[in-house]
Amino acid sequence: MGVRVGPPKKRDEGWFTSLYAAEYEHIVRYGLRRLADRDASAELAQEVFVVAWRRRAEVPERSLPWLYGVARRLLANQWRSRRNAPDPLPITDVDLERLAGSSGADTSVGVADIRTALANLNDLDQEILRLVGWEELTVSEAAKVLGCTGATAAVRLHRARRRLAEAMSDRPAQTRRSPVLVTIREDL
Amino acid sequence: MFGAERTRTLLGPADPARNAVVGPPLVSARELIDRAGATETVAGRRRVRPTRRLVLAAGTLAVAVGAVAALQPFGGSAPEGEPVAAAGLVLVPVAYQFDADPPAAGPQLRMLADKIKDAAYDHQSGRYMYHHTKVWGDPLMTSADGRHHVAFASETKIWQAADGTGNQASSQLEPQYPDQESRDYWQRESAARPAATGTPAPSVIPLPPRELRPPSAVPSELRELLKVEYGAGAASKEVSTLYGRYVVPRATRAAVLRVLADVPGFRWRGQVTDRAGRHGVAVTFDDRQNDAQSLLIFDPKTGELLAHERLTLSPVRISSYKVILDTAWTDRVG
Repeated sequence: MGVRVGPPKKRDEGWFTSLYAAEYEHIVRYGLRRLADRDASAELAQEVFVVAWRRRAEVPERSLPWLYGVARRLLANQWRSRRNAPDPLPITDVDLERLAGSSGADTSVGVADIRTALANLNDLDQEILRLVGWEELTVSEAAKVLGCTGATAAVRLHRARRRLAEAMSDRPAQTRRSPVLVTIREDL
Repeated sequence: MFGAERTRTLLGPADPARNAVVGPPLVSARELIDRAGATETVAGRRRVRPTRRLVLAAGTLAVAVGAVAALQPFGGSAPEGEPVAAAGLVLVPVAYQFDADPPAAGPQLRMLADKIKDAAYDHQSGRYMYHHTKVWGDPLMTSADGRHHVAFASETKIWQAADGTGNQASSQLEPQYPDQESRDYWQRESAARPAATGTPAPSVIPLPPRELRPPSAVPSELRELLKVEYGAGAASKEVSTLYGRYVVPRATRAAVLRVLADVPGFRWRGQVTDRAGRHGVAVTFDDRQNDAQSLLIFDPKTGELLAHERLTLSPVRISSYKVILDTAWTDRVG
């Protein structure tokens, strides 16, 4: 593998436009996996790229894990700021069939089992499994998103997989968190 | 890595976004740069709290699971078993994209004025101006101890010709509350009283003649019409009145935005979602002396006013809202 030499590429509008074009879809998918809503996911992606422009000097060459990290913090900040409100639903509790493009074939028993099992895990376990399993990051890239070392991420992944397997063997399992409705402006 | 590959093999088929088609971005890279620039530096430091977008995210998640009321409060049907109207909504302030230290609104309002497009009604004609609005508050009914508030939302449809004649149909809707304590209090109160029976029928009243002068796009006249000399609070109210009474053409809409851009005190709140679930951009004015905030929400494409709200600042609580649900030219009176 060649070593990159010379100064970083100029972080101008052209660079940003290319970054946006290349990674927008990935960030929207990140949102879809956690929010199950197209508009919200698109808006999350916009926020991520607004941050990316403002912090353009910090964006590494391999930008996607960094962008996922921003998306994760944006979501976490929001949920933290709403700490008095009920937790949003985990993705697996969302009616995924409402998500256009979510294949009906995915609702097979195996997929449902995985989603149910995933929902039984804690947030960190879920996140590292999603980052590796769905965002297809390497463990060291997932570590960057989570803000931990590669070794820690590897241990977390190992444990998360073990707990996932346990959760799947326990089925039919109840999700630990019963579905709660998240209301924003007009609470019922 | 072995663990990573196995994880992908196991979880891949359960990926909810696996087959999702992602459309092209709705916003250009240039617009995002502008958005970042507009909020990058306030008093020398970055102040961005992207709350609204993600509040929306959580809100749309709620919609995804069927909790309709949050983002589709008007016209949406309640989920089965959810007595939404009977219970009455507790109103929560609109979440702002820029919640703390919002930038001055002037540059953004001018930018918006420069780029707005035609609204649907810009291509319509008819004898009557039609407005469909929903309002709440102003006044609020308050308990004897002054702590608990309630008001009934109402919907109004007005057909009005240039000579002021036409019809107005109003219907009273459910009670809504500015906080949970108020709802609890008033529900206890109403439980102690005999329940009202029947649903009030919408009342249609003919409107008497009055002269309606179409609003001017001339800045000096518009400033006078909008009472800007009395400040941003008065101007907000007048903008709301203007859009609730007239079908405002594009040139005038742009002029309104430019006039507001020059009124001291408006702050830019960025993207918001109004109570009808529509995307908008918002400005606010804090009237600290009167412990009040005025909020105007505009359509980012057409510059139309979508909503006007008043809040108290301490505590932050809704005092009144008006949502303009539809505006049109028509020859038919309902």
